[in-house]
Amino acid sequence: MSDGDKNPASTPTPLADVQGDGRWLALHHRFIADSKDKEPEVVFIGDALVQLLQQFEIWRELFSPLHALNFGLGGDGTQHVLWRLQQGEMQHIRPKIVVVWVGTNNHGHTAEQVAGGIEAIVRLLQQQQPQARVVVLGLLPRGQGPNPLRERNRQVNELLQARLPRLPNTCFLDADPGFVHSDGAISHHDMYDYLHLSRHGYARLCPRLHALLLRLLGECQGAGP
Amino acid sequence: MSKGDSNPAAVPHAAEDTQGDDRWMSQHNRFVLDCKDKEPDVLFVGDSMVQLLQQYEIWRELFSPLHALNFGIGGDTTAHVLWRLKNGELENIKPKVIVVWVGTNNHENTAEEVAGGIEAIVRLINTRQPQAKVIVLSLLPRGEKPNPLRQKNAKVNQLLKASLPKLASVQLLDVSGGFVHSDGAISCHDMFDFLHLTGGGYAKICKALHELIMQLLEETPEEKQAALA
Repeated sequence: MSDGDKNPASTPTPLADVQGDGRWLALHHRFIADSKDKEPEVVFIGDALVQLLQQFEIWRELFSPLHALNFGLGGDGTQHVLWRLQQGEMQHIRPKIVVVWVGTNNHGHTAEQVAGGIEAIVRLLQQQQPQARVVVLGLLPRGQGPNPLRERNRQVNELLQARLPRLPNTCFLDADPGFVHSDGAISHHDMYDYLHLSRHGYARLCPRLHALLLRLLGECQGAGP
Repeated sequence: MSKGDSNPAAVPHAAEDTQGDDRWMSQHNRFVLDCKDKEPDVLFVGDSMVQLLQQYEIWRELFSPLHALNFGIGGDTTAHVLWRLKNGELENIKPKVIVVWVGTNNHENTAEEVAGGIEAIVRLINTRQPQAKVIVLSLLPRGEKPNPLRQKNAKVNQLLKASLPKLASVQLLDVSGGFVHSDGAISCHDMFDFLHLTGGGYAKICKALHELIMQLLEETPEEKQAALA
């Protein structure tokens, strides 16, 4: 309990409105309000990689048919997602699957701390949404060439790969289809700014996630009353 | 040259690599290489409003056919764009039209400073690319409900309306209308995070922008004919 307090990545923290237009809080409230009359089977929660996914056709092709909601917020770190969940972002819904994709924006945190933050999210979801399977997506490499953030993200994934399967109803998916080329470069065709995915990048990554979701939903049906 | 108090929004400034993966410089370097390889007729430069445009289908429909390049970088201020344009992103190319869309991220600056930063960009383009017609896009309203940034962006637009006509080969295209509803709210259907445009949001502004670009592209041959006569 006290260890969690010392980890900034697992301490629920709202995003401060430094710009002055209150957008982050507005979106958080909108997610709550919009979900009042919805019955999603899948909820995605995380950062811009989640948020932007909904802007592309692939969302409508692969995930809308699964009755999915998107609670992605650009810039979020694990501590921000934790805060949103603690503040009841999913209070109106009971999805079968929650997809968690966050951690790349945890600047200044160590790989251990980021992994701890993601685990805290999983544990909170298990409390709030005991019926849900949790799918944690691995952090993607970033930057045009090799750099410390790639190394940190890789370490986070390694830690998650080891720890998450021990938690009930939780699985870890590294959906990286091989964005880093043999020369160590990431192409702007996949990530237009070497962080955010282009339509092409999402097209390479989403099929594996989609297949997993279909399998899990199928298992839910099989296990149903 | 300077009058003592220079405008920070008009001073070229490279972004610092605070995150640790040097993405800003990587994108800038890629744009400089693009200038060496490609011959754009139209150049878009600015912040994420420019950058994201290229991610939607509408870019391929309306702007790729015009041989357009996109030099947008998310988070950029006028100072960042000035630095990039001074450091290679205007070299080896001779576009007919340059679209400038930047200013909404200038959080440290007043509306007057932001307008001054945009004017500095236009003046730089006039010097380096005298043949290019410049389109400056107005700043859009932002935030779900009325807030100080909306007023600030509107003030920038107001200042530009007055100052840009005094500069050469530039016009302001005001695309800010149609986003704020009668109750003062902006919809997620237009701006998915009350700042960045959705595909539908871009469709609202791109029609007028595309028409203006086409008009400016078509003017050029006529001017040449007139000059020869």
